[in-house]
Amino acid sequence: MDWNGDKFRHTALVLCMDVGFSMSNSAPGQEPFFEQAKKILQKFVQRQVFAESKDELALVLFGTDNTDNRLADGGQYQYVTVHRHLMLPDFELLEEIQNSVHPCEQQADWLDALVVCMDLLQNETMGKKYDRLNVALLTDLNFPVSADQLDIIIGNLKRAGITLQFFLPFPAEQEECGQGGGAGDGNTPRPPRGKGLTKEQQNGLEMVRQVMASLDEEDGLEEIYTFRSAVKLSVFKRTEKRPMAWPCQLTIGSSLPIRIVGYKAVTEEKVKKTWTMVDAQTHRKEDVKRDTVFCLQDDNETEIEKDDIVQGFRYGSDIVPFSKVDQEQMKYKCDGKAFAVLGFARQSLIRRHQFMGTQAIKVFAAKDDEHAGVALSALIRALDSLDMVAVVRYVYDRRCNPQVGAAFPCVKEKYECLIYVQLPYMEDLRQFQFGSLENNKKFAPTEEQLAAVDSLIDTMMLVEESEGGVMEDLFKVNNIPNPQFQRLFQCLHHRGVNPGSPLPPVDAWLKKALERPEAVAARCQAALAKAKKLFPLKEVERKREQKTSADIFGIILPLSCRLKNTLHPFQYPHFIMCGGSSLAGNTLAYEPEDPGSNPLSRTLNPVYLQGGLSLSLLIVSRSG
Amino acid sequence: MAEWNAYYQNEEEEEEQEEGEESAGDSRSRGRDSLVFLVDAAAEMFIKGEDGELSNFDMTMQCVRSVYTSKIISSDQDLIALVFYGTEKSKNPRDSFKNVYIYHDLDSPGARRVHDLDGLRGEEGARLAAETMGSGSTSLGDALWCCSNLYSDIKLRLSHKRLMIFTCRDSPHDGDGVRDRAARTKAADLRETGVVIDLMHLKKPGGFDVGLFFCDIVTPPDDESELGLHLEPCGKLDDLQKRVRAKEMKKRTLSRLTLSLGDGMKMAVGVYMLAKTATRPSAVRLYRETNEPIRTKSHMYHTETGSLLLPSDTKRAQVYGRKQIVMEKDEVDEIKKFDDPGLVLIGFKPMSRLKLHHHIRPAVFIYPEEEQVSGSSCVFVALLRRCTERKVFAVCRYIARRNTPPRFLALVPQIEELDPSRAQVTPPGFHGIFLPYADDIRVLDVPECPTASGEQVDKMKQIVQKLRFQYRSDSFENPVLQQHFRNLEALALDLLQPEAIEDFTQPKVEMIDRRLGPLVQEFKDLVYPADYNPEAKAAVKRKPAESGGGADKKPRVEVSEDELRAHVEKGTLGKLTVPVLKDACKQFGVRTTGTRKQELIDAVVAHLSR
Repeated sequence: MDWNGDKFRHTALVLCMDVGFSMSNSAPGQEPFFEQAKKILQKFVQRQVFAESKDELALVLFGTDNTDNRLADGGQYQYVTVHRHLMLPDFELLEEIQNSVHPCEQQADWLDALVVCMDLLQNETMGKKYDRLNVALLTDLNFPVSADQLDIIIGNLKRAGITLQFFLPFPAEQEECGQGGGAGDGNTPRPPRGKGLTKEQQNGLEMVRQVMASLDEEDGLEEIYTFRSAVKLSVFKRTEKRPMAWPCQLTIGSSLPIRIVGYKAVTEEKVKKTWTMVDAQTHRKEDVKRDTVFCLQDDNETEIEKDDIVQGFRYGSDIVPFSKVDQEQMKYKCDGKAFAVLGFARQSLIRRHQFMGTQAIKVFAAKDDEHAGVALSALIRALDSLDMVAVVRYVYDRRCNPQVGAAFPCVKEKYECLIYVQLPYMEDLRQFQFGSLENNKKFAPTEEQLAAVDSLIDTMMLVEESEGGVMEDLFKVNNIPNPQFQRLFQCLHHRGVNPGSPLPPVDAWLKKALERPEAVAARCQAALAKAKKLFPLKEVERKREQKTSADIFGIILPLSCRLKNTLHPFQYPHFIMCGGSSLAGNTLAYEPEDPGSNPLSRTLNPVYLQGGLSLSLLIVSRSG
Repeated sequence: MAEWNAYYQNEEEEEEQEEGEESAGDSRSRGRDSLVFLVDAAAEMFIKGEDGELSNFDMTMQCVRSVYTSKIISSDQDLIALVFYGTEKSKNPRDSFKNVYIYHDLDSPGARRVHDLDGLRGEEGARLAAETMGSGSTSLGDALWCCSNLYSDIKLRLSHKRLMIFTCRDSPHDGDGVRDRAARTKAADLRETGVVIDLMHLKKPGGFDVGLFFCDIVTPPDDESELGLHLEPCGKLDDLQKRVRAKEMKKRTLSRLTLSLGDGMKMAVGVYMLAKTATRPSAVRLYRETNEPIRTKSHMYHTETGSLLLPSDTKRAQVYGRKQIVMEKDEVDEIKKFDDPGLVLIGFKPMSRLKLHHHIRPAVFIYPEEEQVSGSSCVFVALLRRCTERKVFAVCRYIARRNTPPRFLALVPQIEELDPSRAQVTPPGFHGIFLPYADDIRVLDVPECPTASGEQVDKMKQIVQKLRFQYRSDSFENPVLQQHFRNLEALALDLLQPEAIEDFTQPKVEMIDRRLGPLVQEFKDLVYPADYNPEAKAAVKRKPAESGGGADKKPRVEVSEDELRAHVEKGTLGKLTVPVLKDACKQFGVRTTGTRKQELIDAVVAHLSR
């Protein structure tokens, strides 16, 4: 099972679950292993169905009361059932898992089951192409297995290129600390280790390790998960989208191009499917039709034909007709793809909170172009050592609007790249003024209060140094699956399988993942109680609900600020901003090699100063 | 490609959505700004300078015009009036004031007013002014009184009242004590009602002495030097003449929320956006014949019975595989609800844990709301100060509105920064940086790349140093918006062609080349072999396809009906490509409304299941 962003497409996967007698066991205070394993299965299939994955799935159960598989012959491969052959996962599979996968009374050899899975894969993938063949085994290993055939099985697995994953109720290693997969948040109770294992299980575990290590010497053991970690991993991580390469040229001036390729590295993933409106009775979308009519704003509401409509824009108190055709013709035209350097600036001048847009793009040198690689590396390393960024004009393609953004150097152990983020335009910035907080005696905290905040910070620290000197992050947001998807898929699943019953509550594990980690919550209690005592917070009874910020900030603004603003003549912050922007050409006057000899930069400052002054005053006046 | 484009389309939709949310507290409820230009029309105003310099009157009209056109775009709800004093003729309600001519009543400006102003410019304009108004005796007191009536006649709530006097006469009544006194009294009355009176003194031979008379009229400035003798015209005029084409945003909260620290400890904060992608103002639908705005009405009806459907007559559905899942509208909303709106503190992390590339949305800004929960500001200040000093940020769960799924914010402390004149450059508060979820981070195949040598890096450093500049976030105008505003202006004011824009997003290639000089070649010699042509290489790739001519198109794979049936059975229809599915639809004579894959699949399934 590929829980984490797989690079492979079109996998053929056999889910092979132990439903035998011993799976009904459980560790004290925990769900039976069977239930845990079934949950993993459901979550995984759920993810595949809702992500509309193209991966094909088969389901093999072992320990079943009956036997149903191709190899079952003469008492061999008993109690192994091929429940579903290789095909795209669908709702039926979810329903089947929900309704017809039950704990059974038999026990079966998990190696037998593995062989059935291998046979199924080989047989049903014949003549088709898959990037990956995989078997995921969920079992408690509680069956005496003989190691005779092990070498042959390993050989066959290798030959067929089949990979394996194991999901066990207990960790495979003493040291492993239940973090198989890396999502352990460090403060959940560890599952029982080696001690409680039966002889069969110890023996089985040894064989599992042997198989996994021989399939992949380095990382094989990492493909052994515990049930507990797997439930948490069961995120509907949508890996359908393959990062799209954006080939372009980074240019510096007219004669220094570097061939690059950009990839979206971080961007907000949205729900793919939208809801369609259907008739409440028939549930048919064809029965609902939406009709829009246009009419004049007169007493008769005279209807207008769609063809008689033109587009216009407000110009002050007037509306100016401005047809789409004219608009298209007169609009700003882009000359195509670009990643052109405008200049280089100090990194400290680029403020994190001024990042615009909805994505971060990683820029690498073009594939298989060693020279471009060297050239880009020189740029990345130069920027890195000077603490600078490249300010670039970025145009995705001819039809798109140009952006100005910063390309940050990123030098990692394994790779280096530029990270591009969009920066604001003058029009995007809002120069709001806020009352000063630091200089306001009314709000000044006492030393005691500050100390209380200090201990809050101390006890609520989410990053701590573990024994090995490694920093451990207890709350990695980038490891949390988007709860919106999880919840949506949970509800879709529920409604699909149990139509007519109300929606279930949010999954407990999901709720927990969004809360302060237990360990931290416990640790900060005293500090929190202290802070609560020291800072009196009282809800103000509000007479009028809709108070505007102006009312409020009028009070908070210090007197000096208010006095100033009333004096200033202009109500137009943008005059001044314009002053800045019309000088943008000058701003791009590059700094001289020896400071102080650039005439442009000097003439620039007084203007900015004046601009800055009047600008900020103005806005105070708006809110004051 | 589709993927990237999708982003651009989505963006606009979302902008609209968010805009709607923000404007919840409509600006009108807070009142509008108003501005009265009170312009001296005495003969002195019309005297042209030596070497063809503009007359003071001409210059004033230019200023007023630029304010009009700027206001139209930045805040078209604001009210502006233009009043002349010292005229021969009078025009005001009931003509109760002599020598006062209201040219434009207090109202929001439009194209006609800009045209009017154009008519008052230049020689022609001077002539027109002489004809319509002429120059006569001056009573600033009457003029101010008239203006105060303008304000009091307005029924709308005015948030800010301002009056600007443009004149080149520092002693308008030539020492007439009665008139001087009357003007002082009226000015004081106006200031009393909250009107800010400003003086735009113009060029006067021998200098303009503000101390002579106007110091008692204007609202006292904070810089005493403004009250003395001035040889040059008011410096603020330059600012007035500058044009601006950007929509002005009033300060408004996105929402007011509680920030709970835990254990029931809750403070109130306001959430703001200090930077948000500005988009073209939305278009209005007009009737072709009369150019009057059109309303749209939409309703839902049942296709078969034709009866109108109420929202309650519908449900929402999604189809996965072959299964339709139906929910009530309320349930669809409920799914998105995890908790009530608010911010919940999870804990703290050192600043070094905030990753640069973890960027998914522009940040929000958090500032305390003392008015909702008293004591909030104190906690806020304490947190702000300690987080800053200890270089940590706070991690918070953020639910912006009802039925909005949670996001996590990194609250990064920001202390107040002032410029040398003690004006606020950056406000105090926390910037809320949106953190990505696991789903938002894409797994990339990182290509293997060679590393540059020290020598190569050093050469690039020289290049970088040559092209250093001081980045300022407000130095770049959006050329797309600027072009749009100019186009609109040109159409509204019947200009022959729109004013040209300067595109600051374009690299100044020539300047760069000049500054770099031989460095480029030196760098290229270090990294590129002699026969390497970075441009050519990209082109080579395309060649084979071109050489094959148009005939070389991929042969289409036709799929038989049986095969399709098999795919439907197995649910593997999604494996076929869009062109194949389209062909299949064509083959069956199935008409499809869309070209999206799911729609095609649905069509094929629908056909075969018949």
